Amino acid sequence: MNINGVHIDDSFAEAFNMRGTRVIITAQNLKWAYNAANAMTGFATSVIGCGVEAGIEREMSADETPDGRPGVSVLMFAMGSKVLMQQLETRMGQCILTCPTAAAFSGIASEDQISLGKHLRYFGDGNQVSKLIPDANGVNQRYWRIPVMDGEFLTQETTGMVRAIGGGNFLVLGTSQPQVLAACEAAIEAMQKIPNVIMPFPGGVVRSGSKVGSKYPKMFASTNDAFCPTLKGVVKTELDMDIESVMEIVIDGLTFEDIALSMKVGIEAACSLGASAGIKRISAGNYGGKLGQHHFKLHQILQGNLTGATTA
Amino acid sequence: MSELIFTLRPAVTHLVDCRALTPNMLSGKALAEIKALRLSAQHTVADVFDVTGEDVTHIVFKQARAVIHYVGYQMKAGQIIIEGDAGDFIGAAMQGGVLVCKGDVGERAGDSMRRGMLLIEGDAGEYCASSMKAGTLGVLGKTGTRLGYGMKRGTLLLAQAPAAQATWLDCGWHTLPFLDILYKSFKTLDSRFATITQMRVQRWMGDVSGLGKAEILVLA
Repeated sequence: MNINGVHIDDSFAEAFNMRGTRVIITAQNLKWAYNAANAMTGFATSVIGCGVEAGIEREMSADETPDGRPGVSVLMFAMGSKVLMQQLETRMGQCILTCPTAAAFSGIASEDQISLGKHLRYFGDGNQVSKLIPDANGVNQRYWRIPVMDGEFLTQETTGMVRAIGGGNFLVLGTSQPQVLAACEAAIEAMQKIPNVIMPFPGGVVRSGSKVGSKYPKMFASTNDAFCPTLKGVVKTELDMDIESVMEIVIDGLTFEDIALSMKVGIEAACSLGASAGIKRISAGNYGGKLGQHHFKLHQILQGNLTGATTA
Repeated sequence: MSELIFTLRPAVTHLVDCRALTPNMLSGKALAEIKALRLSAQHTVADVFDVTGEDVTHIVFKQARAVIHYVGYQMKAGQIIIEGDAGDFIGAAMQGGVLVCKGDVGERAGDSMRRGMLLIEGDAGEYCASSMKAGTLGVLGKTGTRLGYGMKRGTLLLAQAPAAQATWLDCGWHTLPFLDILYKSFKTLDSRFATITQMRVQRWMGDVSGLGKAEILVLA
């Protein structure tokens, strides 16, 4: 398969079942909503070291948010519900409670509810106020008003937790580092328009793809040497001699279709720069297909089949 | 389903206890059963009200006057609209739902209320929100003396400044974000409360002769 002179490997991305949640962060203006959300989603690139993978999904206008102020929606993913709950509470307490004018609301409906401000309310030292207010559907929602130095911190009591998928990905291979980065930037810009997904790494792009295991017994993952261009001559490489740089885009999303769609638009955007701009190949990261529950086959997705074959 | 309408008969001058006429009390009852309900030893519902409709979760009192008492007592869910005035203990011990009175109410409105919203478009008599435990009580008109007497928690939203009281402490003027959410919930109601947009309120806390965790928010 070939798009605009860029070779598409007949490969697949291997992804995992995760638990996800969405939180709506509002503030006096978008600047402060971003300050809060950037803090909350900071140090959340990979579950391996950060506990959760989180990112800003999109901006929300004042008429879309519960409290009529501008905001952003944040998606957060973890390998299990317990970690997700712990991380959400910690990040709410350190990043949203602390941020001037910020408020937090549930961004996703689910039978499974996890604490947003439920325990944070005790920061109010007995002066916290609960309000049970019906939403547009007449269903009562509980909010907590916690007195803080800038006025009142408003947070919904809980948010929904859903089953989600993490680890969708593709690799961009090219003839130089700046060219590959430019293609990744184009991909991220296109993918940021897709709802229900985040690309948790810095700027959405990761340069340190890993393989399972290491020569050092204590390390359970190490650099993906088969894709390291400076090792082409000495390891069992995946790279042709003209490949000088490889970068990866990792996607977490609420459903298989969401991730597949974001991969499609991302790959197409990267390929739109073409072979003449140094973009040579698109590949995907997997572990042989035995670890992850979900396989995102590049050819299938680019042919428009976004439902995919999900292996059990 | 059309809303359940209780139209007060003009000839009624005696006090009417409406404790039995809430969505939870009327749940599962047919119109004929509702009409036959006893409101006192002397009177059935049909003696006092002309009753039409069937949706017990949406109740309307029409041509209401101050003779009807205890409207919405212990109501748990649904909606009651009073078109006209009402007597004492409106929304007393309320546990949920929305109760709107488009006219004036008597004494002890929202007494011991636990949850839900009680919205009074007219004036409220003495001891409004007395011993209130939680919930939201709004009054667009004037309020009588001993406002929020023994009130523990909950919010009293007033369009007009009440008389100063020693056991309620002024916490100053504030712009409170939660009001936007509260006002949005008013928008679904056929009420003058739906027109409120003011986010800036004067906050009083009390009743400090007791727990003192309740608030009065004054829009004026």
